[in-house]
Order: sequence, then structure tokens, then C-alpha cells
Amino acid sequence: MFSKKKNNIKNHYPTWLTIPAILIYTVFFILPVIMSIVLSTTDWNITRLTEPSFSGIKNYAIILSNSIFTKSILNTLIFATATTILKTLFGLILALALVKSFRGNNILRTLYYLPCVLSIVVVGVLFTAIMDYDGMLNNILRAVGLDFIATNWLGKYGTAMASVISIESWMWSGFCMFIFIAGLQAIPQSFYESAAIDGASTWQKFRHITLPLLVPSFTVVITLNITGGMKVFDIVYVLTNGGPGFDTQVLNTYTYRAFGLGLLGEAAASAVVLAIIVVIIAFIINRKLTNREVEI
Amino acid sequence: MNKRKLKSKILLFIMLAIVSLVYILPIALMVLGSFKTQSEAVRFTLTLPENWMFSNYKHVVETGKIFEGYFNSFVITASVVVLSLVFGSFAGIYVSRRNDRSGRAMYYYFIFGFTMTVQTVSTFALLQFLNIYGSYLGVILIFTAIRMPFTVMTFASFVKGVPKEIDEAAVIDGCGPIRMIFSVLMPILKPIMITNLIITAISVWNNFMIPLYFFSGAGKLTIPQTVYSFYGLYARDWQYVFAALVLTVIPVTLLYLGLQKQIVAGMTSGAVKG
Repeated sequence: MFSKKKNNIKNHYPTWLTIPAILIYTVFFILPVIMSIVLSTTDWNITRLTEPSFSGIKNYAIILSNSIFTKSILNTLIFATATTILKTLFGLILALALVKSFRGNNILRTLYYLPCVLSIVVVGVLFTAIMDYDGMLNNILRAVGLDFIATNWLGKYGTAMASVISIESWMWSGFCMFIFIAGLQAIPQSFYESAAIDGASTWQKFRHITLPLLVPSFTVVITLNITGGMKVFDIVYVLTNGGPGFDTQVLNTYTYRAFGLGLLGEAAASAVVLAIIVVIIAFIINRKLTNREVEI
Repeated sequence: MNKRKLKSKILLFIMLAIVSLVYILPIALMVLGSFKTQSEAVRFTLTLPENWMFSNYKHVVETGKIFEGYFNSFVITASVVVLSLVFGSFAGIYVSRRNDRSGRAMYYYFIFGFTMTVQTVSTFALLQFLNIYGSYLGVILIFTAIRMPFTVMTFASFVKGVPKEIDEAAVIDGCGPIRMIFSVLMPILKPIMITNLIITAISVWNNFMIPLYFFSGAGKLTIPQTVYSFYGLYARDWQYVFAALVLTVIPVTLLYLGLQKQIVAGMTSGAVKG
């Protein structure tokens, strides 16, 4: 009996081990996804909370013909793309500057990463003090004689979205920096040495050694930032709440607004649209970038 | 050649100095502003306060319900950390050790969650239905569920690197599953425990959206929401807002400065695997 037990893997790792995790995960994460899909095809709203009736694709037709919703999709895509480009670019530049150790290197890394551990609300509220018309940014601009640029950054069409994008990038560039530093450290030094013997310039080394071997880091950074950017909520909610007008309205703030108005079916439909877009984009990026990875 | 090197070094130095200012100035504005008088604080300048108003902090603590926010955030964060570490590690061990169909199927079931977005509206309905809307329990269970794909995946990949012989030796010595996990596997899993603890704690502590949908409706606020509502109430009293911000960031910043290596390694390695 003993030897039989020893060979029986099911007894070492009984199924109850995974049941609590499966249960919590299924009920509070997966079930709502299914509910969303179902409820988005009903006339569910706050007055018919318990007895929604089937309405087909009506909610999708309503939101897709709503110009604010299509604008939200566009804004979300703009936000996700722009922040991804900025964070990747700044993250890479900072990583290249800080990958070699020198005095003060660690202090700078610590400083650039600090915003990542702060609550987005703190960052958001702090930056309303900076981007306000009488805020710190305009004070600095006026002090150096650039007062013609000074404007109400978060309250004006055009600059509002640019400001939110900049603040988000300020927050997370340090995070990308660390992923790139790890990627850079994994590149064997001997590659650069033999390239130097062959007389390669700094740019050639960067173009033909560093960049190709950093593709895995790019995959991570880009996938993470695009999907994270699509799901953006907090920073927009705190900084502009979708305004001015609907200039910075993104999908998640649209959902929250529909939710607040009691239009639960529409809110569910908009959440489903977001989920579909995120899945498709994550899939495409992973396909595209993993094809470019080279083995060391 | 040497001249060029020196030139690029100076350029690098200037660039890093400018970037550093971009990071330091907002923090300086917040800290300095929190000690200023109202008329001084709304000028949003980087001058030192004329009179150091330590009383700003007293006012915030007395009226801002900061400690209530701390308490709520602490209860929620601690519970989520415990639940997701215990259940997540169990599931992680299961899916990586049970190399049969059920183990693999469950692994992919958890991984599936990475591609999903939180469905706030139907979760709201679910909590209403279960009668736990606005309660600690509801928020804790939602956070635990959302963290599950990450926790299970990181534990599973770590357990894969632990030789199976260790488990088998323990079983031969007569350990049941529970004793084997707690006295043999858990000590080995300590590094991944710490990583998960840090990532879960920071992400739950800082989260704004989940409590906004499921907690604050009942008048209970976590620390990020306390700050937000304080900001809404005192929009013109920036000295108080700044003080509230400082009080909010102090614990996380101290934790970050103390455990910097683990936090950075944990957050970025987690991202790389995710």
C-alpha cells in the first residue's frame, strides 16, 4: 500500500489545493466576463436591475453610433500608442545612459523609478498643481520668458490629451528603463569587443548588436504598455475626468460614466468592446514581435 | 578621440541633470507646499516657506480621515496578500507538479485571465446579488481574483525549477500533502513569496478603480480615495492637499527605499514573465 501511494501523484498533490484559487478566480473574475457578454445583449439598466430582457445587439448599435463612444475608442488608441512610444523611447534612452555603473548611478535609478510605486491619484492631484494655469509649469515658463506658451494645459482642447499622455509617460518611463537595463545586461560583452575589432562605429554597434538583441525587451515593454494603455482609467479620471468636453474621454471613463447614469447594458457593452480590442492588439503584437526575436 | 569622449560625457551629464529635475521638481513642490500658508501655497513656486506651517499636517490628520483611509487600505491589502499568497501558491504548486491533463488545463485557465479586462459593471451586479457590495469582503475577493493569474503563473514557473525529488523524499519520510507543502516546499518558495507579496501589496494599496466602483459607494474610502475626496473638498487649500499627499506617499516611499532591490526586481521580473 505504501509503495502504491508513493507512485500515485494524485495523493501528493490533491485537487483541493487548487479549489479555493479556482473558485475565487472564477466567481469574481471570469463569471463577470460572461455576465458582461450576456448582459450587454439586454436592456439592463438601474431600474430593471433584476429583470433584464433580451435586446440583441441594440446596446452595441447604440454605443457604436454614439459619436462620444467612437471618440473614446479613438482617444484610447491615441493614448495607448503615444504613451507606449514615449515610455519605450525614454526608457531606452535612460537605460543606455544608466546601464554602465558610475557614481550616483543608483541614486538616479531610484529617483526615476520612484513614481512607479506611488498611487496614480497622488501623481494626478500633484500634476493638477503643476499644469494649472497658475501652476508650477507656467510659473517656470514665465520666469524664463516663454510666457506665450503658458496655457491652461489640462483645460484646453488639444493640450489636455497631450498633458495626460506626458504625465503617464513621466510616471512609467523608469519602469521601462529597468526592463531595458536587464535586457542590455544580458547581451554578451564579447559581441561588442569583436565588433570593435572589425572597426564598427558606435551607431553600427547599436544598430546591429544592441537593437536586435533587445527585441525580447521591446516585446515585453510594448505589449505591457499598449494593453495597459488601453485599460487606462485612474490617471484620466483624476486629471481631466474625460474633459474638456469629451476631449480625453477613454473607454474606461466612458464605461464609468454610463455606469453612473445607470445605463448598465451600455456600460457592459462598452466594457466588452474594450476587452475585445485589448485581446486583438495583444495577440497581434506578440505575433509580430516574437517573430523578430533572435537567439543568442 | 578623448576629446569626443569628454564631450559626450558632458552631454550625458547635462541630459541626466535635466531629466532628474523633471522628477525632483514635482516632489519638491509637494513637500515645500505642504509647509506653506494658503496664499503662499497656491502660488505654486519652489521657494522655501516663509513660515513653516507644521499645523497643516495637524489639520489634515484631524479633518482628512487619513488614518481611517490607512486602516481601510491596510485591512484590504493585508487580506488580499494573505489570500492570494496561500491560495495562489497552492494552485501554483498543483498546476506545475500535476503534469497531467487537469494540471495543464487549469494552468491555461489561469493564464487566460491575463488577456481579460476587469468587468466592473457586471461585477457590481454580482456583488449586489451576493449582498457584499461595499463590504471589505467583496473588495478583497475581487482583488484576490484579479491577482490570481499572475500569482499562480509566477509560483508555477518557480516550482518547476525546484527538483521533484525533494517532494518525493518528504513523502517517503511520511509527510502528507499539507506538511510537505508547509515544511518542505514553502521555505524553498520564499523568494517568489516575497516578490508576490511586494507586487500584490503595492498594486492593491495604490489601486483606485476597484474601490471607486465597489467600496466608496458605501462611504468607505481607501487611502488613494481619501486623498481624492480631500482634494475635492479643499480644492483651493493647496497647503492641506499637499500635506495629505505627503502623508499618503510616506509609507510606500519608505518601503520602496528600504526594499528597493526586491521591489524593482519583483515588479520588472514579474512584468517580463507576464
